[in-house]
Amino acid sequence: MAEKNPSFVLEKAGSVYYEDRPVPELKSPYDVLINVKFTGICGSDVHYWVDGAIGSFVVKQPMVLGHESSGIVHSVGSSVTSLKPGDRVAMEPGVPCRRCVRCKEGKYNLCAHMAFAATPPYDGTLAKYYSLPEDFCYKLPEHLSLEEGALVEPLSVGVHIVKQAAVRPGDSVIVFGAGPVGLLCCAVAKAFGASKIVTVDINEERMAFAQKYAATHAFRSQRESAADSGARLIRDCDLGLGADVIIDASGAEICIQTAIHALRVGGTYVQGGMGKNEITFPIMAMCTKELNVKGSFRYSSGDYQLAVDLLASGRISVKELITGKVSFKEAEKAFTDVKAGKGIKMLIEGVED
Amino acid sequence: MIMKTDEQDSNPSFVLRAIKDVAFEDRAVPKLRDEHDVRIHIAQTGICGSDVHYWQRGRIGDFILNSPIVLGHESSGTVVEVGSAVKNVKVGQRVAVEPGVPCRFCGYCRSGQYNLCNDTIFAATPPWDGTLSKYYIVASDYTYPIPDHMNMEEGALVEPVAVAVQITKVADLRANQTVVVFGCGPIGVLCQAVAKAYGASRVIGVDAVQSRLDFASSFGADDVFLPPKPESGVDPIEHAERVAALLKEKFNLGEGPDVVLECTGAEPCIQTGVFVTKKGGTYVQAGMGKEVVAFPITTACIRALNIKGSIRYTTGCYPAAVDLVASGKIDVKRLITNRFKFEEAEQAFELVKAGKQDVFKVVIEGVQ
Repeated sequence: MAEKNPSFVLEKAGSVYYEDRPVPELKSPYDVLINVKFTGICGSDVHYWVDGAIGSFVVKQPMVLGHESSGIVHSVGSSVTSLKPGDRVAMEPGVPCRRCVRCKEGKYNLCAHMAFAATPPYDGTLAKYYSLPEDFCYKLPEHLSLEEGALVEPLSVGVHIVKQAAVRPGDSVIVFGAGPVGLLCCAVAKAFGASKIVTVDINEERMAFAQKYAATHAFRSQRESAADSGARLIRDCDLGLGADVIIDASGAEICIQTAIHALRVGGTYVQGGMGKNEITFPIMAMCTKELNVKGSFRYSSGDYQLAVDLLASGRISVKELITGKVSFKEAEKAFTDVKAGKGIKMLIEGVED
Repeated sequence: MIMKTDEQDSNPSFVLRAIKDVAFEDRAVPKLRDEHDVRIHIAQTGICGSDVHYWQRGRIGDFILNSPIVLGHESSGTVVEVGSAVKNVKVGQRVAVEPGVPCRFCGYCRSGQYNLCNDTIFAATPPWDGTLSKYYIVASDYTYPIPDHMNMEEGALVEPVAVAVQITKVADLRANQTVVVFGCGPIGVLCQAVAKAYGASRVIGVDAVQSRLDFASSFGADDVFLPPKPESGVDPIEHAERVAALLKEKFNLGEGPDVVLECTGAEPCIQTGVFVTKKGGTYVQAGMGKEVVAFPITTACIRALNIKGSIRYTTGCYPAAVDLVASGKIDVKRLITNRFKFEEAEQAFELVKAGKQDVFKVVIEGVQ
């Protein structure tokens, strides 16, 4: 195939360029080649663009960006049975090793050999073509658009967080942060039957949107101690003895501290947001209130399919989160806009045919 | 029936050609299929009821013998060849072999339940060849090094220990719980030993054969029980309820044991097991007998029992089993009552089939 594979590449912090790269070869008979159609941008993409690194993941050589994608199957390996060329799919961008203990116990998101798109050294999906194993592609039903397909990735993050939180019907849930992940956590909590969903953010616009979207209550932060804020949250939102579940999708220290004080005894806290590496944490409150405190990282078995199903059944809608679309040639503009905090979700169109 | 070994390396194999028709065949030395495979020179193989069942009946459930298969699946051996991507074992290493490799792609595999994978390649389950050959090919992550002080017979017994580990995992056994195990065959006594090793306060073994109870007493069980036979004309359900009451009384089990492991598949034991489990307790079906039985379902409902099935093993079972044997917590050597050379494999199977009381675990040596 003489056809090339135009790609959007991060050379190093602050420097991006377009490059024609070879079309990926199918490495296994279970792989498929996808013509990428839409890619959303996440805070982590922006972080690599600005800093060239996240923690110990350092961009040492040019790397294609992007990981929140949908596309159309172009060709399939000889052992592929569930997909054919022309199928529209949501793309799960992290392929684990399938052989280690974490993989075999069902927690493949924790695989030490995970090959994740746009996490160094693996190339991302902002190219014309991308290859994935069959079981990491999820067919989109007719009535879901490819744009919505690109939102399946952040929705899956939300699904995984809410599953970690073990939200049960009737639970009261607080979500700190009304960015895309926070919004989607509210939506998934609602789909899981939460009776009360409180959104918390410092941005009025985002909170107003969250209330229209999936939250039942909004809480405005003030300058006060975390303990006072937690107590006020419980009072203002009629949370009785405290919330059953709190999810942090902000990474902000004050939110994390407030959350511990706003939970009821025996409640569950899940850290989804990423901020400072180390913070001051109310560990005595966590101990004496016997809280379940968990982390949440990416997504694992069943999350992507559940995300597609929640969208397909109409129980969650993501159309209203898409606030901008740019062509592949304008990809850098999208990064600039996201960095400036514009809109909710920006999509980059795939390479034109 | 006795094959000659060539000067050139060959792969003598013990093959089930059709129901009740076994033979030795010289097959080709198998090749590695990909960079993750290893080739094992099989050292010892234990025989299981399922092997005998395929030989005599040609099927278990939907698995039907349609073409010849090599028998055997409980094996140990030495690694003789490794693929280029293999990191966990080296040539010369002695290993226990986990005989069922799943597809790794399906929902079951990806969610940590690879024992339920529909496309598992399981040794000696039709249509897949088993381990009673000189050599066996398997993915390297399904081989587990055994320490120097464990011999190859113990290595072969890791498989049934892993089955027992899975059964206790499914039972969610916690420290200080009381456990009743129906059946004192190899799986039953291994469940008793694993339960003890995992902190059960009291383990009671039940069997209809006194000699098996005697062995169980000396192995892992704290107490053993020989259920009385039903009087003629007594309703089997009433009898099962009576036996359950007797069990609870005799061993001061109060409202009943926390956990019941059913390792016989026999209908009266299943019924007694349900009646004896305490309210809110856990009953695990591990034994295989009649496909359909009369089950005390209302008792299960009213007493809010957790009733689960257990099949084969999942992640972590094999390493746990190796550790239980290597640490001396379970002395599997004591289960072996008969040993055969590879050329005597058919006699070994006949012995297991005869079902004599003094025959417990039979092992077959590999091709030298």
